[in-house]
Order: sequence, then C-alpha cells, then structure tokens
Amino acid sequence: MTTEPETLTDEQLAAMPFDELVARLQRVVQTLEAGNAGLEASIALYREGLRLHAASEERLRKAELTITELGRRGTEAGGGTGGAEGGEAPSG
Amino acid sequence: MDEQPTLWDSAAPAPTARPAPRILRVSDLNRRVRALLDNDAMLADVWVEGEVSQPSYPPSGHCFFTLKDASSQLRAVLFREELARALIRPEHGMQVICHGRLRAYEPQGVYQLYVESVTPAGAGDLHQQYEALRQKLAAEGLFADERKRPIPRWPRRIGVVTSPVGAVWRDIGNVMRRRWPLAELVLSPTIVQGPTAAGAIVRALHRLYAQRDLDLVILARGGGSLEDLWSFNDEKVVRAVVAAPVPLIVGVGHESDVTLADFAADLRAPTPSAAAEQAVPDATQLPAILARLRDRASAALLGTLEAQRRALDGERRALAALAPDAATARQRAADLVDRGHRALMARLERDKLGLRAAHDALRALGPQATLERGYAVARLEDGSIVRDPAQVTAGQPLDVVVARGTIGTRVERTATDETEDLL
Repeated sequence: MTTEPETLTDEQLAAMPFDELVARLQRVVQTLEAGNAGLEASIALYREGLRLHAASEERLRKAELTITELGRRGTEAGGGTGGAEGGEAPSG
Repeated sequence: MDEQPTLWDSAAPAPTARPAPRILRVSDLNRRVRALLDNDAMLADVWVEGEVSQPSYPPSGHCFFTLKDASSQLRAVLFREELARALIRPEHGMQVICHGRLRAYEPQGVYQLYVESVTPAGAGDLHQQYEALRQKLAAEGLFADERKRPIPRWPRRIGVVTSPVGAVWRDIGNVMRRRWPLAELVLSPTIVQGPTAAGAIVRALHRLYAQRDLDLVILARGGGSLEDLWSFNDEKVVRAVVAAPVPLIVGVGHESDVTLADFAADLRAPTPSAAAEQAVPDATQLPAILARLRDRASAALLGTLEAQRRALDGERRALAALAPDAATARQRAADLVDRGHRALMARLERDKLGLRAAHDALRALGPQATLERGYAVARLEDGSIVRDPAQVTAGQPLDVVVARGTIGTRVERTATDETEDLL
C-alpha cells in the first residue's frame, strides 16, 4: 500500500526542513482520516504522526534566525568614491 | 587704498611725471577677485548647461570636471557629499545641467563652479522621466498582473538586498526573529542612494540570484526624498527586479512612495518592515496549527477503532444467533468494549485540551492496552490465536482472553459453514 508510513530515523527527522515535517504530518493525518489503512497500519501511522508533531514543536521552540552575508567588502567594485558608506545617511 | 612701499621706492628716485605702479602680491589680487565674485548675487545661484569633459575622481571622493560648450569652458567641482546625493555621476561627454555657485579658488587663481546638483540635460524633469519610463516598461508588460508570482507560504531562505547599515536591515532582522525565526536570511549588501546606487543594487540582486535554494528576495530601502529614492526608478534596477528567478518583494520608502521597482515586484510592500511582515507567516500561530493536526490524527484513529467495534458488534450478533453459549462470552467481551469505549469518550469530554489525553493513552498502545479497551483474544489450548473458525471444531475448549483474565469456553459450533448463509 502506498500509504504505508515509512518510519523516519531520528537523524532523518532532525535533518528534515520544518515545512516538510509539517507536510508529512498533514499526509499522515489525511491517510488516517481516509480510514482505510487497517488497524495496525493506522496505529503505526498515528505513532509516526506523534513523532512528526513532536519534532515540529521542538524545531519551533529552538528556532533561531540564521543570517549570512554575501561578499563582505568588495561591493563597490567600479563604484568609485562618493557614496561608498553613504548607504543610509544619518536619517536612516 | 594705501600705497604699499616697494623696492622701487628706495632703489630709484621717484619719477617725476608717472605715479609709481601699484604692485600687488598674487594672493592679494586673488583675494580681491574672489571678493568681487562673492559679492555678485547672480553668481551665487547659477544654473548652467554644458557638456562634461575629462571628469576625475581622485581618492578624496570629490569629482572635478570641465563643463564646456562649442566655444568655451568652465571648471567645475562636485564635492563628495553632493556627489553622493546626485542622481547621476558625471561622465565624459554627458550633457548636464549644473546648479551651484561660482567662486574663485584663491590658491590656484582660478574660478570654478561649485556644483550642488547635477541632472541630465534635455530629458525634462524627474517626473517626466519617471512617467516616460513607466509607460515604456508598462508597454513591455513588465508590470502586468499575470507576471506576479505568489509569495511562498513558508520560505526557508530569504535574500535581502539593502544597505547593511542603518535601521532598515535591523528592522527586517527584528521582524524575522519575531515572526519566522525558522528562516535563513541572506544579506546581499548594497548602497541605496547616490549616482552609483543603481548599478550596485543591480549587482547585489544578481549576486543573490546566483544563490541556490533561494525562496524569496526582499529589496528594501528606508524613506527619503524623491532624489534619494531615484535609483529605484532606474531602468536597470527595474529590469533586474523583473529578472528575479524567485518571487521578489519591494519595500521602499514610506507608504506614499511608489517607485518603478515597486510596479515590477511580485509584491509591493509599503515599507521595509511591511515587506518583511508580508514575506513570512507568523510562527506564533504554528503550535496551535500543529496541535489541531495532532488532534485530527487522534480523532481519526478513534474513528478506526470505532469501526472495528462495530464490526465486532456485527460478529457478536451473528454468533448470538448461532451459538448462545459462546455468544455469552462474546457478549461480555463486547460489553467490555462498549464500556471501555464509553470511558474513553467520557475522558475525552473532560479533557479541556480535547484529545490530548487520548493521544497520550494511545501512545502507549500495546496488547494489554488494547485489551483494556475491551477487545478479546480467543486462544486454543496450545496458546495459538484463533483468527478463523476453521481452526476449531465443535466441543473444543477455547480461552477468551480479556483485560483482567481468561474466560474458559467451549466451541459450540463452528461458524464458517452456517454464517455464510446468514450474512
């Protein structure tokens, strides 16, 4: 059956982007709600759903904005002189 | 003016007829010329049109050039600060209109135009330029609604093109931290005003476009005068916005500032902070969304259990018709199922968090928990589980295992042959 939940390892869960975690959780819920997975498969799905839910919550709790900056310096190539630091005048 | 004594006064006898020439020092003469020019009100506020020749951009940051027409030329200087604010960067051969003040530069004995602003000549005023370019680009379809792409629901990597100094970048970071800390911000820094800004913005955009896995781009700048925001009306910038491989949000200036880059964006935000707000959902709502999904999973599983119970009910009725004795045991088992089910439902009702209790209970699902909910297992003497009436024969002992123990029964009749008639 295609709805068989492949159980993810903890490592796979940890590496999975947040939106994919939630998308998987949604698929689990939809499969359960379709109600034709059979009792044992349903219970396995439900367990997987709980893991996905816990992993998503954990991710939210620990989320911290990541910031990277492209090409520090050298942004003025060919720009010459004047406004190099004038990006945002004192008013900025 | 006083006559100044000179060498001639002592070295030669005073000429009889001619007055002694009045000999000035160079600096005195230059000062006099300068005073003369400074006193001329017209020269203090002058507009002059001409062609830029041989501009130089020394490390001081100023720009020196010659302004000329067919028959004459004039030295001009555009100081660093004015250059930073200027709409264009004077280039050789460019036809411009300069506004400024004519003064003498004493140390070199020259007069020159101290330029305060420089605009391209012949193109009309800024509004005319803006309108002409807007119509041209609109005619190309660059602002068409069909071009607008939806903003991704949950972006992972968001590119930001803005000045790395100042409030705008800080504000965007703050909004992201508050609303969507799951994201990664990729800053592509640029200057955002002055004659070189348009080129710098274009380069910063394309640096981002070269990034992989980018979901969204924000192009932002704080408020300012029409001239401060002019780079965002530059055709090169507009085309770079159009070229974005992923959806792009422009948030420039204040509410009322609408640049051509705004028109070209997939989404126009009134301010930089609003651009950040519109780029991402509010993660503070996610725990509730996740809880709803979990509760739906619990409810769906309960539904499956309920369906199993009903199937068991049907079987019980069939058995009751066929085998009253065995049916008694099954009746009891089924009653236990009902009771367990009612208890579970009652607990769910009590629980303010809806299905949380159920989900905890279900988490512990095992054979014993299943039995606790009222299911029964029929075993033969050798311990094997009965799944098919064909496994037993009439009179054979049968243990019905329920949650708290075992009920010894005996098979009255096998059901395979007769149930088929009944069902």
